[in-house]
Amino acid sequence: MSAGENDGSADRINGIKSTLRVVPDFPKPGILFLDITTLLLDPKAFKDTIDLFVERYKQKDISVVAGIEARGFMFGPAIALAIGAKFVPLRKPKKLPGEVISEKYVLEYGTDCLEMHVGAVEPGERALVIDDLVATGGTLCAAMNLLERAGAVVVECACVIEVPDLKGRERLRLHGKPLYVLIESRFEPTS
Amino acid sequence: MLKISLGFHKCIRHLPSGNSEISLKLLTSFTPPVKQPTGALCFYPSSAAARTVKRFSNMAASNSDHNQGYTVAKDDRISRISSSIRVIPDFPKPGIIFQDITTMLLDPVAFRDTIDLFVERYKEKNISVVAGVEARGFIFGPPIALAIGAKFVPMRKPNKLPGAVISEEYSLEYGTDIMEMHVGAVQAGERTLVIDDLIATGGTLVAAIKLLERVGANVVECACVIELPDLKGRDRLGGKPLFVLVSST
Repeated sequence: MSAGENDGSADRINGIKSTLRVVPDFPKPGILFLDITTLLLDPKAFKDTIDLFVERYKQKDISVVAGIEARGFMFGPAIALAIGAKFVPLRKPKKLPGEVISEKYVLEYGTDCLEMHVGAVEPGERALVIDDLVATGGTLCAAMNLLERAGAVVVECACVIEVPDLKGRERLRLHGKPLYVLIESRFEPTS
Repeated sequence: MLKISLGFHKCIRHLPSGNSEISLKLLTSFTPPVKQPTGALCFYPSSAAARTVKRFSNMAASNSDHNQGYTVAKDDRISRISSSIRVIPDFPKPGIIFQDITTMLLDPVAFRDTIDLFVERYKEKNISVVAGVEARGFIFGPPIALAIGAKFVPMRKPNKLPGAVISEEYSLEYGTDIMEMHVGAVQAGERTLVIDDLIATGGTLVAAIKLLERVGANVVECACVIELPDLKGRDRLGGKPLFVLVSST
């Protein structure tokens, strides 16, 4: 589901959307990169972003907010603080000190790996996964696998932006989990 | 009640000056994780050799004092914050004792208190920019920025920020690294904080200060959760003040 559907948040969503910028040919030619850093430069839009997530999750008994390095770190902690949950960073390899569990996942070319601390999450805990954007859903699936391996229940994945053409939502549905986003980004072809 | 959160033998010495010194001697044997009353899971590190790790909390300097050019917070919330931080020996390489703040993030009260201590200090200071250093600065900076109504500006490793950036090279123990900031993120004259989880030698903070000053910003203060005073980072900040919650030797 997306925000703005019958929950009176349309004005805030439009405000947030207007702060995003598209950077063409980043990180490589042909890719239109959706940059959330300009959202962070607008205190009202940034606050509205966090508020929209907090309003959705505060009564849902969530005890873990897992944020994906690095842009998930910009949104996850504020949400965790507001709903009284732990914040658990999910990181690239070798960044977390001490004992970790690792989950490999597939990229367009090659593979990558996401890690989580052993003991950060306990069996039965209700968890959210936060990232700035969902494209193919590969990273979110790796995150969910880590949490589930530790026995947590992933309640939902939440992102600021979804790129629907890349079918991340479908991939999450195959994993059995819902996705919540504030903004959908569709690129219309110019004729 | 303050409990020992790590595999340390702890003794507290009360000094004549009114400070207290807490000595933590690392235990040698590995024991399974112990759950603390706060709900945070703490770990006993395994180590071949016993070492003594000292922490000073509740130093005499108050929030408004500048003692030797830096300020360390004095507040009842500090001891819970301090004990929620875990120490990992030999990370990222042998001989280094790593201060891990992720266990503090697992304690919602300690994390909340950490943010509150920074917000209380900065909310009336007309700060319009909070710059956070990748990646652990991204965990603390945004909640502070949101609470004081400032922008959050990420200071990143190379090639992560899309679009036009300015870059600053800085020294590491071996070699150099580069920090980048977006062109246009900060305007000349804006009052700015720099946030990171920990200050060691100060090299990273100096790079951040330089980037901000290059665009004409006014860096008001650097703020970290933890300082390693033996590495003298505060002396390298070009006269900029430093505020920390926990000082760890």
